[in-house]
Amino acid sequence: MIPSSVLSETSSIAPTADAGVSSLDSAKTDPTLILADRVQQLYNQVPVAVGATLVLGAIATFELYESRLHELIVFWWVVVAVILLAQLGLLLAFRRSETRNSEPQQWHRWLGLAAFAGGSAWGFAAAVFFPAHTDEQQVFLAFMLAGIVSGGVPIYAASWPVYAAYAAGIIVPFTYVLGTFGKVLFEVLALLVPFFYAANVLVAYRINRVFNDGYRLRHAYGHLTGDYTDLNQRLEGQIAELMEAHREVDASGRKLALFAERAPIAVFETDGNATVLDVNPVAENIFGYPAIELTGRNLLRTLISAGDPTLSNDWWTTFIRKGEPVTNMRVQCQRRDGLEITCEFSLTPLVNDEGDLLSVIAQGRDVTQQLAAERLKKEFTSTLSHELRTPLTSIIGSLQLVNSGVIGEPGKDIAELTAIAERNAQRLLDLINDLLDIEKIESGKIELHPEVFALDDLVREAITLNRAYAERFKVRYATTGELPAAQVNVDRKRLFQVVTNLLSNAAKFSPEGGEVEISMEDRDGRAYVGIHDRGPGIPEDFRPRIFSRFAQADSATTRQKSGTGLGLSISRRLVELMRGQIGFTDRAGGGTTFWFEIPKRSD
Amino acid sequence: MPDRPLVRVCYVEDDEDIQRIVRMSLERLGKMTLEIVTDPLKAIDAMVAFKPDLVMLDWMMPGMDGPTLFRKMKENPATSNLPVVFITAKASSVEMNELRALGAAGAISKPFSPKDLPDQLRSVWSALP
Repeated sequence: MIPSSVLSETSSIAPTADAGVSSLDSAKTDPTLILADRVQQLYNQVPVAVGATLVLGAIATFELYESRLHELIVFWWVVVAVILLAQLGLLLAFRRSETRNSEPQQWHRWLGLAAFAGGSAWGFAAAVFFPAHTDEQQVFLAFMLAGIVSGGVPIYAASWPVYAAYAAGIIVPFTYVLGTFGKVLFEVLALLVPFFYAANVLVAYRINRVFNDGYRLRHAYGHLTGDYTDLNQRLEGQIAELMEAHREVDASGRKLALFAERAPIAVFETDGNATVLDVNPVAENIFGYPAIELTGRNLLRTLISAGDPTLSNDWWTTFIRKGEPVTNMRVQCQRRDGLEITCEFSLTPLVNDEGDLLSVIAQGRDVTQQLAAERLKKEFTSTLSHELRTPLTSIIGSLQLVNSGVIGEPGKDIAELTAIAERNAQRLLDLINDLLDIEKIESGKIELHPEVFALDDLVREAITLNRAYAERFKVRYATTGELPAAQVNVDRKRLFQVVTNLLSNAAKFSPEGGEVEISMEDRDGRAYVGIHDRGPGIPEDFRPRIFSRFAQADSATTRQKSGTGLGLSISRRLVELMRGQIGFTDRAGGGTTFWFEIPKRSD
Repeated sequence: MPDRPLVRVCYVEDDEDIQRIVRMSLERLGKMTLEIVTDPLKAIDAMVAFKPDLVMLDWMMPGMDGPTLFRKMKENPATSNLPVVFITAKASSVEMNELRALGAAGAISKPFSPKDLPDQLRSVWSALP
C-alpha cells in the first residue's frame, strides 16, 4: 500500500502540462525574436546575392562589352564592387555582432539599405546601358533585369520591405529610361513595369508571411521542446523520489511484517463480514489452525466459543457500523483441538479517506495462563492474609490480655518479656499488612474510595491516635499554630495510613524528649501537610532510595529502630494515586521535614 | 440507640484459641454474657436458644462461611433482626464495604485488640437504630 502522501506528490506534475500553451502564446506575442530570425535569414542570403550579382554582371559584361562603353562598364564594375564589398562587410559585422538578436530592427534597416544599393546598381546599369544598345541587346537587358527583379524574391522574401527597396532600386531608373526612350512600345512597357513590380512585391509579401508563420511555429516548437525537456527532468526527479518513497514503504512494510510474524500476537486481517483474509504464523500456533484453513472462514464462527456472548454477530455488525477501534476485549475462544482458551482481542477497522472499510485487523493474545497466574496470586494473597493473621490474632490477643492485667498482675520479668513478644508480634503484623498493601498497589488492585472530609480533622485524629506510640519514644506531637481548614476528596482510610506512617517515623527517629511539629498550609489550591522532626537527618547516600521498598538507612543507630522499610514506599504510591506529591527537606537547625500535598476539593 | 445495655453476645468462630481470648475479653473486661458456637451449621439453633442482643460472625469457617450463615439468619424470622458484626482477617476496604452492603452492623478486622473489643462492640451497639 502506498501512503497517501506519496500519491499526492505525483499530482504536482500536473500543473506543468499547460506550460506548452503558455509558450505558444508568448511566441506569438514576441515579434522581436521572429524579426531576429528573419533578419538572420536575410543575412544568410547575402553571399547568394553577392554571387548572383557577380555571375549576372559577368554575363552582362560579356554580352555588352563589344559596345563602345568600356569605361562606363569598368566604372559600373567599380560601383558594383564597392556595393558588394559593403554588403559583405555588413554581413561580417552582423555575424560578429552581439545585438543581432536583441536589436534586429537596426540590422534590418541596414540590410534594406544594402539591398536597395544592390538593386540600384542594376537600375544604374539599365539606365546607362539600355539606351545605348541595339534592339537585341535591349531585349537581353530587359529579360535580364526582369530575371534579377524576380530572382530577388526568394533571396529577400524573409522581409518584403527589403525586397521592395531592392526591386525599387532596379525598377525606378529602368521605368524612367523606358518612359523617356521615345518608342511607344517602351512607353507601354513603362506603364506595365510598376504592375510587374507590384506583383513581385505582393509575392514577396506572401512568402514573407509564410516565413513569419514558419518562424513563429519554430519558436513555439522550440518553447515546447524546452518545456518538455523541463517536464521530463521534473518527471525523472519525481519518479526518483517515488522510487525512494517506495523503497522506504517497502522497508517499513517488511519491518512491520517481521513485527507481526515475530511478536507473540496473533494477527488476522478480515473483511467487513469477519471473513479471514490473512493470518500470521502466531495465529496458527495459538489457535492450532493452519493459515490455509483459516483463510476464507468466518473469524467469529471459527474461533469464538459458542457460549461466549462478548463477540457475537450482533456485536460485530455494530462494531463495523461504528468503525472505531476496540481494545483488549476478553473473549473465550476454542482452539482447533477443542481446548478452551481466553484471548484478549484488539480490533482495528482500516478505513480510507472516503470512510469505506478496507479491512479489519484483529490482534489476539492468549491470556489463559496469565489469568490463571493472576488467580493463583490472588488466592495466595488471600490465604496468606488469613492464615497469617489468624494465629497472630491469638498471639497478640493473649499477650495483650496478659499485659493488661485483667487476669492478674504478672511479675516484672514476665511483664517485660510479654511486652517484647507483643511488640514483635505487632511488628510482624505490620510487615504482613505492608506486604499486602505493596502487592495490591503494584498489581494495580488497590481501590481507592474517595470521600469528602476535612484534612485538618484527619491530621488531629491521627495525632491523637499516635500519641501513645510516640510516648514510647518519649516524644511529643505539637501542631504549629491552629491547623487551617481544608476539604479534600480522597480515600480517608488510606490518607490516614500515610499521615500515621509519617507521624510514627518522625517519633521513631526523634531524640528522647523531643518534639515533632505538624503544620498545614494552603499552597495554590493544594493542601500541604508538613511533619517536622529533630532527628539525625537523612544520610546523603540514602536520600535517592528513601522511598524505595525495604528502604532503611543501613546504620547501627537506625537498624535498632523497628520498621518494615515499606512504609514510605507505600505512602508515596498512595499519595501519587491521590494525585498528590510527597517529599522531604532538611530542616533549619537540624532534623527533617517530611511533607505531602494533595489537591483540595474543587467546588 | 437501643434503650438497654449490650449484654448477651453470640460468637460463631471455629478457632478455639481466638474463642478463649474473646471469652476473656468480653466476659472479664466487658462483663458480658457470651455464647460461643464452634460449628456454624448449629449456629442458628444456638442463637434461637440463647437469644443474643448481638451476633459476632467469623468470616472464614469450614462448613459454612460467615456471609452464607448471615444470609441464612436473614431467612429465619427468629434471627433475621439480630445485629451482626463480622470478624475478618480479610483487611481490604472493598470487602469491608461488601459486608456493610450485606446489612452487617459492623466489621472488626483481625487481629483485633482484646483490650478494645468490648468498647468496639458497644460503639456498634449504640450506633444501632
